[in-house]
Amino acid sequence: MSDLFVQAKQAILATDKEKALEIAKRHLDAGGEPLEIISQGFVPGITEVGEQFGRGTLFLPELIMAAEAMMAVTDVLSAAMAESGQAGSATPAGSILVATVKGDVHDIGKGIAVAMFKANGYTVHDLGRDVEVGDIIDAAEKNGSRVIATSALLTTTMGEQKKLEETLKKSKLREKYVTLVAGAPVTQRWANRIGADIYAENAHTGVVRVSEKLMAG
Amino acid sequence: MGMAIAHAQASGMGGMRTAGDLVARVQLAKGYRIREAKAYVAEKLGVSVRDLVDPVIMGEVRSDMGLGTMMPLAHTPKGIECKFNIARVLDIKINCLDNFRGKTGL
Amino acid sequence: MGKILTRMGDGSPVELSPAELRQDLEDGSADAADRGNVPGLDEEDFRYLVELFTRRDRFVGVDVGNEVVLTYDGAALKFKRHCLFEERLHVLTLYEKMFGADTVELGHVDYSYKPVKPIVNYEQGTLEMGLLTTHSPLIYGAMPNLGLYTRPDGPCPNPMELLPQGKIKEARAAYEDMVEEAVRDIVFVVGSMYESGADGFNLDTVGASGDADVLASFLALEKLRAKYPDIAVEVGMAGEFVLGMHGELEYGGKRLAGLYPHQQVGLAEKAGAVIFGPVVNTNTDQTIPWNLARTVVFTRACSKASSIPVHANMGMGVGAVPVTDFPPVDVLSRASKALVELCGLDGL
Repeated sequence: MSDLFVQAKQAILATDKEKALEIAKRHLDAGGEPLEIISQGFVPGITEVGEQFGRGTLFLPELIMAAEAMMAVTDVLSAAMAESGQAGSATPAGSILVATVKGDVHDIGKGIAVAMFKANGYTVHDLGRDVEVGDIIDAAEKNGSRVIATSALLTTTMGEQKKLEETLKKSKLREKYVTLVAGAPVTQRWANRIGADIYAENAHTGVVRVSEKLMAG
Repeated sequence: MGMAIAHAQASGMGGMRTAGDLVARVQLAKGYRIREAKAYVAEKLGVSVRDLVDPVIMGEVRSDMGLGTMMPLAHTPKGIECKFNIARVLDIKINCLDNFRGKTGL
Repeated sequence: MGKILTRMGDGSPVELSPAELRQDLEDGSADAADRGNVPGLDEEDFRYLVELFTRRDRFVGVDVGNEVVLTYDGAALKFKRHCLFEERLHVLTLYEKMFGADTVELGHVDYSYKPVKPIVNYEQGTLEMGLLTTHSPLIYGAMPNLGLYTRPDGPCPNPMELLPQGKIKEARAAYEDMVEEAVRDIVFVVGSMYESGADGFNLDTVGASGDADVLASFLALEKLRAKYPDIAVEVGMAGEFVLGMHGELEYGGKRLAGLYPHQQVGLAEKAGAVIFGPVVNTNTDQTIPWNLARTVVFTRACSKASSIPVHANMGMGVGAVPVTDFPPVDVLSRASKALVELCGLDGL
């Protein structure tokens, strides 16, 4: 790995937005490919941030700051790609709608997921907590989200995730979205039973599984 | 609550059937770890540590000392009456007994 | 040897070969040792666990002499969840006489200190009645639940709305305000119930809202111990490490965020806890052998670091108990036995 790529990773780990932007600029000035430094420098940085958060060695405010640094460099590198006529964006990410289901006011896990998805270049539409299934679908239809992620902390509210799947099917919208379910009582078994596409044990796993799913098409 | 029963069967001391409640009282009152708490209770009751989880032996000890039994007969201590005996036998403070004395003038 | 029937972390059945069982035990141990920077299992531990999972008993228990004390969280409320509308004091007697409980616990349906504040007199009356009729130590339990202090339920801005907007300073200030509010409520409710005669208290699910939740609990505990030197408080945690939602809060000169059970227990003791309840989360993507090995490593490190009784949390989704409402007794009893015997626990 080149020294600059190592520095790019370190800048994200240090949550140093200015340093990250300076490195991105140096790379572009030297004629480097935007995607190269993203995939070999900045993305490994934000991946490690996610892993460290999951291990309790890095905390939410730092995750937020790392996300801001990541968003700043991807803006610059995406603009550079557009200028040079390259298609697409500097990250493979898309748009995701996130909500805690109706009847559930627990939003800590959702908040962490929002930060983690933003850190990985996703556009996040956060509907908050206690959100009706109908409102989730309406919002996804309006904002063009590709992924609908719901969180339920209670066994008494996780049924709303099933209701979401059923409503999407009845509305003939199911194939349009990738659905993700998460929350303390939620398991892969539950995801399989209700027909959700992705189960996420934690925010970091959620990002990894959504990215894999979107890249697989 | 089914889980509570399973844990009680797998690992618990047995509560009032044995001396589980008494060992728990000593943990709370003195902050003793389990070995120390069991040894303390056994010594105060005059039984072996192993006897503390034996419902036959402890049933008799509790009955003799008025520490509360699973099926209390007429004229035997019940509820707070047992707590006075427990506090004396174990030589520990039981918080609610001070209130009881205060309210009753005992 | 044929296949060994055990379960995944979600409770579903799975069959493992002896080699797969051994591998899962080694991997679970290694994961905890790596994360917590604590010693993993040794060969004797592996032999114990292999024997535990390969024996065909439907239900197992600790060896005679290894029994421990049981404390509970939300015990009186669990009837309600099953739509059994037993009066709370009756529930205490059911636990005491029918469930083999070593302690009984009274709690308000909301199971948080804040909502008890305006009705504390009614709770005191209920507790005082319970103390007259029960025999076992009567503990009053509730959660610090800092989430109840954010708008619209409380006076503080919601950090989980501020943080994703990058408003870190404002979010941290909100957490600090929440700590002050929660300390006041915990001290008021616990103090009132202590004066009514409770034998002990459970500060349960400490850290559910992250490091601020832990700080509030410890600060409240300090104040309570100063005012009531004999008060007995159990601190039961919410997760295996303290989530750094604020990230910079300290207690006793140590940053709270990121602390694992063996690092949490000393601070709880310093604050005045009489019993500590560590938590290790169950991973539903892994098998119970993997989870149990991992849980033993973390919990044993905590037990060794402690000089106060340690009552490990072993409910749904923690302590190698599957994430399912009715955990099967085959794995539940194995987890119960192994945790007590391999970790030198004082209770569950």
